[in-house]
Amino acid sequence: MTCAEFQQELPDVLEGASRAELEAHLRSCPNCSELVSDLKAISEQAHQLRESEEPSPRVWKSIEAALRQEGLIRDVSTEPRFLAPASRRRWGPAAWLVPIAAVLMVGMVLFINRPLSGPIAQRSRQPELGGISTPASMSARASNDDDRQVLSEVERHAPLMKSAYEDNLKNVNAYIRDAQSSVDQNPDDGDARQYLMQAYEQKAMLYEMALDRSLP
Amino acid sequence: MVQGAEGCGAHQPQTVGRGLMESMQRVTKAAVVFLVCVGILTFAETRKEYRFTVGPKASISIVNQYGPISVKPSPGNQVVITAILRSDKVEIDNDQSGSRIDIKSHLLTGATADNGRVDYQVLIPADASISMQSATGPLRAEKLGGDLTLEGAGALVDVRDVSNVHVHVKTMNGPVTLTNIQEGHVEISSVSGDVTLSSVSGRLVQVSSTSGKIHYDGDFGSGGEYSLTSHSGDIDATIPPDASVDVTARSIRGLVENDFPFTPKTHTTFPLVAGSSFAGTIGKAASSVVLRTFSGKIRLKKR
Repeated sequence: MTCAEFQQELPDVLEGASRAELEAHLRSCPNCSELVSDLKAISEQAHQLRESEEPSPRVWKSIEAALRQEGLIRDVSTEPRFLAPASRRRWGPAAWLVPIAAVLMVGMVLFINRPLSGPIAQRSRQPELGGISTPASMSARASNDDDRQVLSEVERHAPLMKSAYEDNLKNVNAYIRDAQSSVDQNPDDGDARQYLMQAYEQKAMLYEMALDRSLP
Repeated sequence: MVQGAEGCGAHQPQTVGRGLMESMQRVTKAAVVFLVCVGILTFAETRKEYRFTVGPKASISIVNQYGPISVKPSPGNQVVITAILRSDKVEIDNDQSGSRIDIKSHLLTGATADNGRVDYQVLIPADASISMQSATGPLRAEKLGGDLTLEGAGALVDVRDVSNVHVHVKTMNGPVTLTNIQEGHVEISSVSGDVTLSSVSGRLVQVSSTSGKIHYDGDFGSGGEYSLTSHSGDIDATIPPDASVDVTARSIRGLVENDFPFTPKTHTTFPLVAGSSFAGTIGKAASSVVLRTFSGKIRLKKR
């Protein structure tokens, strides 16, 4: 089994599929083994972030009541307030998008900096196979979902800023597409990799700003 | 007046009409006066001043959702913060822990970009570091000697006359201007705001942008690393004839123009294509300069 064939099976491998030929390739190919290990680590981190959702509002309420009794906090508004961390209070479930973006960026950096040679380099030079969910296309879909969620949060909390964020996200996504295509065409071009990393950094910064806990 | 009109009966309709009109005018005037009073009470500006005594190398953080922050050096070891609050829809939280000071505009229910605005004028010891955030800005800092962090989505950022400091700037579409920064460690990231650097030099000067333009006017110092990168924004660098740089310029889909005669490099990490890239040295090549854009235009101009 070649690296290219193995990588077509990646989604199944990550789901836990175990076949003799896959196992054999994993044992014999350090690059694919490392790739699977990295992707599993990223996936686990993402799950942990999701699982680390805040405690129920009742818990925050109890803490708030205790602090109020101690006179450590006071009323500033009549609307219900929770002592959840500020980012969660403002952005609710979307707060986990920031660490997710950071984790994805770290994953992207690992992936970009992976030594490209032999079958992997050949694979990366191949055009994306139609109809097959490659890691890149899965990543693009996830990215679109994340963008939509970020924009809906911006619309909810700072509607005047939505169009600006929308425009800037479009630009950054175009940057990522161009840079990715450049890396695909010239995997050994250090500049192209640098572009891709910077494009992802810009996107991470945009997410961070859009979901910033202290600003509108 | 209205009663008088009633007493005169229906044969004086003009008087009745005039009376009604005058009455309505009085009511309208009263309503206007009432609304103005409410408006004044609601939007009444409040000026507050906070003073803190700090030790050397203090650290100050200011978070202001709406409104400008302007920072200048103070004599001695005092931090003086003057805040003008646009209304009672915003409060200021302040906290001192040793030489660390946290200031935050605290929006209350019903606050908007107008009535939640706070204007900050800040004086800090020259060696203090400061972090400031505002979505709308502007953010201004001058003549300081401590590290500076400025962040704001749409905030205009203006930093001038600082030396031997780290300057970190992040904006979404806010324009960034740095003037007269010596021996700095400068990192700027802006998605679509234009970035203008005038007389900026240091060990590291790094600008990253997606669609904003990048202008550099200076001499690239004597021994630093300069990296100006954008996706679609143009990059203009204007340098004196006696500049000393090892320069690499590359636009993948755009054009590159160069006014300088240079000694070409023999080894590059990418194939050189006339008109869209060049790499070489000018003078003694004291500083390393990398100019990169994906589809923008690069111009290296002689001053």
